[in-house]
Amino acid sequence: MKRALFPFSAILLLAACGQNGEPDIQLGNAWARPTRGDAPGAVYVAINNKGAADDRLTGAFTDHAAMAMVHQSELVDGVATMRMAGEINIPAGSRIEMVPGGTHIMLEGLRAPLKTGDSFDLVLKFRKSGDRNVTVDVTKAEQL
Amino acid sequence: MSLSHLRLMLWVIAGFVAAATAVLIWRQSQPQQAESTAFGTMGGPFTLTGTDGKPFASSKLNGRPAAVFFGFTHCPDVCPTTLARLAKLRRQLGQGDDALSIVFVSVDPERDTPAELQTYLSLFDTPVVGLTGTPAQIEQVKKQFGVFSRKVEQPGGGYSVDHTAAVILLDRNGQFVATLSPDEGDQVALEKLKRAAA
Repeated sequence: MKRALFPFSAILLLAACGQNGEPDIQLGNAWARPTRGDAPGAVYVAINNKGAADDRLTGAFTDHAAMAMVHQSELVDGVATMRMAGEINIPAGSRIEMVPGGTHIMLEGLRAPLKTGDSFDLVLKFRKSGDRNVTVDVTKAEQL
Repeated sequence: MSLSHLRLMLWVIAGFVAAATAVLIWRQSQPQQAESTAFGTMGGPFTLTGTDGKPFASSKLNGRPAAVFFGFTHCPDVCPTTLARLAKLRRQLGQGDDALSIVFVSVDPERDTPAELQTYLSLFDTPVVGLTGTPAQIEQVKKQFGVFSRKVEQPGGGYSVDHTAAVILLDRNGQFVATLSPDEGDQVALEKLKRAAA
């Protein structure tokens, strides 16, 4: 009886840990438009933090490109600008969906241009949750 | 001079002043000629280079309204998003691809050769007129359309280009109608397109 109780209490302990402030990061709906030549690409990802603690997106990498950077497009006095974003806070219980014209993961130095219908792996780095993998689908250019 | 003569003369003078005032008001209310690039005008004729490498005169755009966007091919987010939005709006207009020209003018002429532009625009399943030119030609057209752009060095090498985000809407005669802002709703944008296409 005691032996059976041990794994159960371990599970209980784990569950309690989650409630005590661990982030629970889930990635989904990752997509990018196709590219041509040596032009960079942009990936949009939905980040869901179902946990009880905040987490921060600190960076990204992929085998498919020399560099992956968290970028931010902004409209300043009617001018579109694009800059490196700082760390992005993903508050506990919140969902952040990157959409065109805002935050995105910019891929510079693509090993091959992105083609509609292709998919590749991208890793997002989080301060607490570590590296998380997501599969990026290459959509049509007209995707909004 | 009799009093009635004086009265008649005053009436003539009053009539003359009224007519002159009316002419003045009428002239001020007339739209300014787009041929001039003086302050307060927008657009006007230009010649750039098409994706086939041949000169492209702006008069080729006449006959249908045009949505003109200034961007660059190494722009992964804002430029394809704007082109995708224009393609969607043209579909929503529901009059076919001939009802509106979508025009993409490069603000990065050093990198955007006609061939590069052609390759980039062929990603889209919809016809887009791509235009580039010499840096001097591009500067001139930017000035005509009140468009701003500047190169920004990127950490890790290469550069990006900050540029005016608005789309410039021209009527079938190449006259400025309105701008489409990226942060206005599609419904507002569609109304403007309908007005330009009317």
